[in-house]
Amino acid sequence: MVFALLKKDVLIVKKYVLVMLLFAVLIPPFMRWRVPEFTGTLGFILSVIFSVFMLLQYVSIKEYQYPRAAVLLCAAPFSRRAMVLSKYVFCMAAYAMCCMIYGIETLVIPGLGRPDMRLFAVMFCAISAAVGVYLPVQYKFGFDRAKYIFAGLIIFSPMCVPLLMRTVSPRLSLFLAAPRLFYSGIALLGAVFLAVSAFLSVKIYDKADLS
Amino acid sequence: MNDILTVSGLNKSYGDFSLSDVTFSLPEGCITGFIGVNGAGKTTTLRTVLGLTGRLSGDIRFFGLDFDRHEREIKDRIGIVLDDGCFYDELTLMEMKSILSSAYTSWSEQDFKRYMDLFSLDPKQKIQTLSRGMRMKYALALALSHNAELLIMDEPTSGLDPLVRSQLLQILSEYMQNGGKAVFFSTHITSDLDKIADMLIMIDHGRIVFQEEKDALLDTYRIVKGDSRDLTAETRPLFLTVSETEFGFTGITKRISEVRDHIPDVIAGRPTIEDILLGNTGGAQ
Repeated sequence: MVFALLKKDVLIVKKYVLVMLLFAVLIPPFMRWRVPEFTGTLGFILSVIFSVFMLLQYVSIKEYQYPRAAVLLCAAPFSRRAMVLSKYVFCMAAYAMCCMIYGIETLVIPGLGRPDMRLFAVMFCAISAAVGVYLPVQYKFGFDRAKYIFAGLIIFSPMCVPLLMRTVSPRLSLFLAAPRLFYSGIALLGAVFLAVSAFLSVKIYDKADLS
Repeated sequence: MNDILTVSGLNKSYGDFSLSDVTFSLPEGCITGFIGVNGAGKTTTLRTVLGLTGRLSGDIRFFGLDFDRHEREIKDRIGIVLDDGCFYDELTLMEMKSILSSAYTSWSEQDFKRYMDLFSLDPKQKIQTLSRGMRMKYALALALSHNAELLIMDEPTSGLDPLVRSQLLQILSEYMQNGGKAVFFSTHITSDLDKIADMLIMIDHGRIVFQEEKDALLDTYRIVKGDSRDLTAETRPLFLTVSETEFGFTGITKRISEVRDHIPDVIAGRPTIEDILLGNTGGAQ
């Protein structure tokens, strides 16, 4: 069920999947070419942000454009739980695709560095937290209102990010020197974020009136 | 005859609208028309019965199974045709089919192809390019391709031309010939039901007004024409609704023998379903 719905998400944004795939492929070498001092980490982060969030946005836009299609799917034997979980699987599949592309590129493009599992774990946690907040809010308030809520957060973020950077930067070297187990914990934390968020989203969508 | 669907004591509040103690059942082997004016509660009832919106109380059983406990199994045995299709319009017919077919355990690719050919639908065509009639046919092809035992349709004939409506009714008749099936068909175009319905359920202001076999129902009511001077304080309550012109009155009644006792020279005729619908909603006044 979940994979059939994952296929549905891919089909409704199929035009954009190729474009986002292209972004994921081109951003790391582009960063290597234009800003070599940020090669690697930043290129990967940007490719993930573009691919995962843009694709999720496109899926949400299409669902918003055709809200009654979800009515038909729920009238069919697709469970609401599967409908929700497929969104999470979709985001994680997009993230896995970015990791794979970046991993391959580090092997074939000189100067991109080596695939770094620490980076993948931290980014997984960050993406899980972001998706984990975004999806329940969207299920609760709808795409349109969620869009305004997150637009507000983005507008206020310049005030918070410098404070966050000042707090994190002095500890960055400690953070990077942390043992492998620490990063496993970070990845696990991401998985917990996703599980809690998916649980909340399922609860919210279960009570939604589909009309 | 077994009941394929039993709804009892269904209550739901929906803004300023509510379904109040909705109770009805669908017998196997019958095409049941669900009639009511726009806003009477047809779509809300169908969606509540299908679990698409919540309910305050009520018991819903399909094929003798409790809906809440066997939702997936029940939906696997139901074909759904919703008003205007409810598709992702940018997908092709084949793509939309590939999504929906994976939900059904008894999907028949052979049946689907047969219906696509019968309706002259091109699988590579995008849904957004289909006319309203073609969308309905496509929805019907999807609903009939997984050996559904019950077909639920929400206003399928609304906005369709008479030819397409006639084709739809023909398909429904063929579907019923297989035996052990039932159709539940909400509409406000009652002329379609005159042709094919076996049973009628009427809803108004969120309450079930009646559930009766069509022929028995048509025998129960009479449309009466007479002289307006015969309408007195005593005779007027015998009619559900009365409309008067300078030439006389026309009324709908369920008490024709009493009407004849009071006004012997009235002309009484068999009403249409629309007359009965209007009579019960006050629309004929």
